[in-house]
Amino acid sequence: MTGHPPALELVGAHAAYGDIEVLHGVDLRVPAGAVVALLGPNGAGKSTTMKVLNGQVPLTAGRLRLAGRDVTGISAVAAADLGVCTIPEGRGVFANLTVRENLLVSAGRRATLTQMEEAAYARFPRLGDRRNQLAGSMSGGEQQMLALSRALGTHPSVLLLDELSMGLAPMVVTEMYAVVAGLAAEGITVLLAEQFARIVLPFADTAVLMVNGRVVRTGAPADLEEALSTTYLGG
Amino acid sequence: MPVLETHGVTVTFGGNVALDDVSIAVRPGEVTGLIGPNGAGKTTLFNVITGMQPVTSGGVRFQDRDVTRWSPGRRGRAGMARTFQRLELFLSLSVRDNVRVAGDIVRSNTRRRFDVAARTEQVLARTGLLDVADLDVSALPTGRARVVEVARALMTEPVLLLLDEPASGQTESESETFAELLLEIAGAGTAVCLVEHDLPLVMQTCTTIHVLDHGRLIASGTPAEVQASPAVIEAYIGQEATA
Amino acid sequence: MDTFLTYTALGLVVGAIYAIAASGLVLTYTTSGIFNFAHGAQAMIGAFTFYQARVVWELPTWLALVVVLGVLGPGMGWLLHTLIMRRLRDTEIVTRVVVTVAVLLGLVSLSQWVWNPQEGRVPPMLFGADSTVDLLGVTLRYHQVLCVVIAAAIAVALWWLFNRTRIGVLMRAAVDDPELLKLSGHDPDRISASAWMIGSTLAVLAGVLVTPVMGGTLEANALTLLVVDAFAAALFGRLRSIPLTFVGAVVLGLGSTYLVGYAPAEWTWVGNFQRALPMVVLFVVLLLLPHERLRGTATRSRERYQTPPLPRAALWAVACVIGLVAFGGLISEARVGTLLVGLSFAVIALSVVLLTGYAGELNLAPLGFAAVATLVAYHVGSDATAADPRLSLTGLVAGVAVAAITGALVALPALRLRGLYLALATLAFSGIVSAMLLRDTTPRTLFGHTFVIFPNGNILMPPLEVGPLDLADATTFLWVLSTLFATLGLGVVALRNSSYGRRLAAMKDSPAAAAMLGQRLMVLKLGVFALSTGIAGLGGIFMSMAVVSVSAETFGFTVSLSLVMLTVVCGIGYVSGALVAGLIAGAGITSLQLVLGDIALTHPEYRDTFDIVHHLLLVATALVGIGVANGPSGFLHDVFERQRGLARVPFVRWGGAAVQVALLLAAYAGLLGPALLLFVSVVLWSLLPAVATAWAPDRARPLPLELEGITTPNTLALRQRIDRELRIETEAGHARA
Repeated sequence: MTGHPPALELVGAHAAYGDIEVLHGVDLRVPAGAVVALLGPNGAGKSTTMKVLNGQVPLTAGRLRLAGRDVTGISAVAAADLGVCTIPEGRGVFANLTVRENLLVSAGRRATLTQMEEAAYARFPRLGDRRNQLAGSMSGGEQQMLALSRALGTHPSVLLLDELSMGLAPMVVTEMYAVVAGLAAEGITVLLAEQFARIVLPFADTAVLMVNGRVVRTGAPADLEEALSTTYLGG
Repeated sequence: MPVLETHGVTVTFGGNVALDDVSIAVRPGEVTGLIGPNGAGKTTLFNVITGMQPVTSGGVRFQDRDVTRWSPGRRGRAGMARTFQRLELFLSLSVRDNVRVAGDIVRSNTRRRFDVAARTEQVLARTGLLDVADLDVSALPTGRARVVEVARALMTEPVLLLLDEPASGQTESESETFAELLLEIAGAGTAVCLVEHDLPLVMQTCTTIHVLDHGRLIASGTPAEVQASPAVIEAYIGQEATA
Repeated sequence: MDTFLTYTALGLVVGAIYAIAASGLVLTYTTSGIFNFAHGAQAMIGAFTFYQARVVWELPTWLALVVVLGVLGPGMGWLLHTLIMRRLRDTEIVTRVVVTVAVLLGLVSLSQWVWNPQEGRVPPMLFGADSTVDLLGVTLRYHQVLCVVIAAAIAVALWWLFNRTRIGVLMRAAVDDPELLKLSGHDPDRISASAWMIGSTLAVLAGVLVTPVMGGTLEANALTLLVVDAFAAALFGRLRSIPLTFVGAVVLGLGSTYLVGYAPAEWTWVGNFQRALPMVVLFVVLLLLPHERLRGTATRSRERYQTPPLPRAALWAVACVIGLVAFGGLISEARVGTLLVGLSFAVIALSVVLLTGYAGELNLAPLGFAAVATLVAYHVGSDATAADPRLSLTGLVAGVAVAAITGALVALPALRLRGLYLALATLAFSGIVSAMLLRDTTPRTLFGHTFVIFPNGNILMPPLEVGPLDLADATTFLWVLSTLFATLGLGVVALRNSSYGRRLAAMKDSPAAAAMLGQRLMVLKLGVFALSTGIAGLGGIFMSMAVVSVSAETFGFTVSLSLVMLTVVCGIGYVSGALVAGLIAGAGITSLQLVLGDIALTHPEYRDTFDIVHHLLLVATALVGIGVANGPSGFLHDVFERQRGLARVPFVRWGGAAVQVALLLAAYAGLLGPALLLFVSVVLWSLLPAVATAWAPDRARPLPLELEGITTPNTLALRQRIDRELRIETEAGHARA
């Protein structure tokens, strides 16, 4: 592992919304091919960290490296071009586009529409049945399947998953994470942010705990379990 | 006798069920907590209660009247007040005028005459905002700005006060002072309903807690009952906990 | 039956043109969120360019079409998007409207520069006027048939674009969620650029087709107002649905031809009503649209204004009256007339400050209300048969009251909806006023009283006489008008500092929070709209008295738009903003033209040069409006920020005031002319802050540490400084917490 630069690296990252700073110096390494879980209570800065990594929020200080290359200040469009695939928090689909059109938007340099459709419908046959239905009229679980399908055909270099389980029934969440595990097994680097988190720990190689805009612990998932319940339920 | 009751409130967006048959009650003189993971439907329920989100089915009763079809303004005049998760302050006004204008509005709506300026100073003192009263409200850090929203709501002397994540962005000491303020408001007879992620604050202030998950009410009870409920632990930690 | 078919066919042709124009409008609005007020102006440029290519340069039709549709349309769309519209993301509705209005004005001045409006240009029909075809017994020209065919083709093409092409799907995706589109590796800017190119081409196409169908010569203003007709059609689809927009366009087209065909002959107003039909329909549709749900505000205001405390404002009011009257004493009586026009414009601009600056609503046609007030005042308050008529106070009051009531009526249908709809409703109202009232030159009978609404298309407005005050005397007029402005200005400031003003600010900043506190938003909006149109009416009556002879052009929509735009440019939150904007719009441009005209008369060899300067001036004014995108608080805001530094050095400030008085006295002594006086004064006050800094370099006390980050931006550097000064070991401290 030491020979390869990390797929993603943040060094002393500060970021702010307007005058309000939310990241106060985050250091984060996501080794190539690893699955890293980013944990922490609401407002810890997990989502902002994700948005810094995919270029949506600019850094006010610190550096961002992608596969060893300094890309500080990169735009979201350019990051996506470099293979950073983000499944954002909440609704990750275009609600007024059909399933097929959603896949068409993600198709491009990395995959043709046909390849995208094949990969998506093979993994989620339900999407195949609904290819001409508007994404917004599907259930939350199906929408999340569609969002995740963006990563299926395109072979991203890094997959960022922000609160994949949010608002979904436990059954669906399990199904989603099975897909993520499959992608990880193919060697895709994955960083997943979760608030309520024990479910992701079995998948993760490393877990990172964030509180108040800082990384407070990094370690093997098992070591972090203890810390979690105190942070969340207040003991 | 509850001040507010929701009856089987259901809200669907497209194919998504945001709220599924939710019935809760909020009593005067108590702080009622509303908790649940992200996306559980807490803010949607607030929007239903205040009239900013129409229901697919179900209804809302406030002070023994069916208010389901009322506009937000009418509910406000009837004694509801709320704060907003994504702050909705009057950015061109000072902190004092943000609070004062709430009194101006109440006075313009009723024939009741009262000294708006004097009440403003009382509320500012009560909420600990006197030291920043002359500043532009946009200059405040988020934690204090949330207190301004609470102060503004208090100016209307509400029967029911709905607080949407009032403690997020507050420092630890601010949040402690805030807990005292909440208990004081409820102690004066106001019904307080609190959506909050800061669970220590919720456990410390609430008499009753309702837990939402996936738009459903999965538990209701005292803080101790809720903390012990397997369904709540499962919702918060994930289903592994029950295994 | 034959006539019915004829009217139906002609109605479809007119509807087809509305459809082409409206679909372009909807396309740009949905993909970029910017309502393009300049859409009609783009059509106008297209129509003139086609005329130029086809008739003046005598290019073959196909080549002229390539020039206009292949180069001008897409090029103009690309330029507008790249240079202007791209920067408007996350700005307020007021800024967006003003910037596109500025583009509109710029295009109109540009066209009048290139194509002298005095010349009549009859644009050719495609395929000529003689090629006709018989359909079901109705004879139609090829051009007319072509309009319908093109509209149908566009309907199909747009459907195909949005549902079957990648770029179309991306456009819809950009509407849905631009952030998610970026995450998929697509630049929403590039996608909206293509939407602007298509939209602009559709505008240009409508421009080429419309005039031969409607008849008459190319007219810049009429073509520019095509945006209102298109908007009326687009409203059927709530500015989103293209199919419903086509339905709306056809309804409008058929409505207008049936109206002319089947209205009883004694309805003499039908001809004018037909012109106004789209605008009338617009109001009806606005009434039928469902109420919009209350939501949190998405964008945060970048505008900042400081309202002075009342005593200081009163001091300024007195200084303003004295200054204006003193300056009036220096200039010739004819120029005093120009100054009076400027001042009455300033009163009208005050209505914009109240409405837009304080309440955040938009009225794009203050002069439409000025026209209503003038007409009422004229008919109620003056005796046209008298030898030397005067306007009575009753007339003045009646005019103002009717303007206020009209304002409330116009606002009523749009108040439940977004600010944009109110802005468009006012523009439509201005269209109705010019199409129906200001063209109505036939006698009408109302309550047994026969009169002509706008006799001969021109009114000689008599001066007001109240007790001992007779405004026939220019000096009295100046005293009265400057006192009126100062008093109203003071009143507006007092209002801002009152309970009412705070409630307006609350409504403007967060409608959701204000409503939740119990504010009845409709009542508040309606009240402030009526108050502001009342003020516009008052200013309008004074303007008519100052101008003396008023015609439809006096109240034209370009005049309204320029005034609103200039008020925003100067400072929409300031009474002084209204004063400067009014003076520039009403007096400044006129004076410069007079001065240039004078020089041109004495030096005929420079005539062309001055002509260019004159047009450049108009275009430059529009360019200034486009600059609002960068500084929405207005330029006076920056001026005041700089002058604030003077408060620390009262010596320099009072010294400046003394020099100013000395300059005025020198001017009275004939040592310098009024123009030079103005120039030197402006230089004096812009240099004073620099003098103050030189005199007392940075006397600013350092901010107490506990206020750092509260009154100043809370930055990383600042926090590190605080940590350093308080000797806090941050990293270790936080890790433990």
